Amino acid sequence: MSELTYRRVHHAPPELLFDCMTQPEHLAHFWGPAGTHTPIDNIVVDLRPGGAFRTTMVNDADGSTYTMRAVYVEIRRPELLVWVEADVEGGMRTTITFVDLGDGRTEVVTHQTNVPEAYLSAAARAGFATSLDRFDAYLATIHKGA
Amino acid sequence: MTDELSLVFSALADPTRRAILERLAHGEATVNQLAEPFAMTQQAISKHLKVLERARLISRARSAQARPCALEAVRLDPAADWIARHRRVWADRHDRLEQHLATLREGATP
Repeated sequence: MSELTYRRVHHAPPELLFDCMTQPEHLAHFWGPAGTHTPIDNIVVDLRPGGAFRTTMVNDADGSTYTMRAVYVEIRRPELLVWVEADVEGGMRTTITFVDLGDGRTEVVTHQTNVPEAYLSAAARAGFATSLDRFDAYLATIHKGA
Repeated sequence: MTDELSLVFSALADPTRRAILERLAHGEATVNQLAEPFAMTQQAISKHLKVLERARLISRARSAQARPCALEAVRLDPAADWIARHRRVWADRHDRLEQHLATLREGATP
């Protein structure tokens, strides 16, 4: 259940999108969500398994900061990027897949889980297989019924 | 696995427990009534109910012999909020990436 999937198609080749997600000079342009920015000096990328990926986002309104601390798990340019944030909501694993659509476009699929290690067995994973959309639909049912 | 959100998510991770919640969305039910559609022993159902109770997704009457279970729908809100918040962050990020890519394209074809 605690899995999230995002899909976005961009007009760019997978190599460029992979570089955008892994090079500070690119990340500084888009990493922080609305209302924040992430200066290039606040980005650490040590692109190897076990290497650090850290970003410190700065709140535009009050200058407060939020640091994301992750460790790269798997790197396969241009198709795969995996990192884990050990200290976020029970340990969140982010897997980004870059799918070449063959027409100059690339689908970026971001799959996140915060499933603790104990739950990563095949049997336990089956229980987590419900997609976000089904979960949304389920919540709507519950709220309507309640 | 001790924080509130993890309790809710792990409780929701089991299809039987989700089915129990859906049943309770239609009204209170006793363990007997809940066990009926599942071809499971009352003992097995009771284990699931304990998990749901620990996540405070259901409440159970203290006094009555039958102790009917009731859904605490409000407890699902933090889980839904967490999902919405993370979706928003990634949506913003990709909006900005799109803008950045457009800038790169402009730079490439002067």
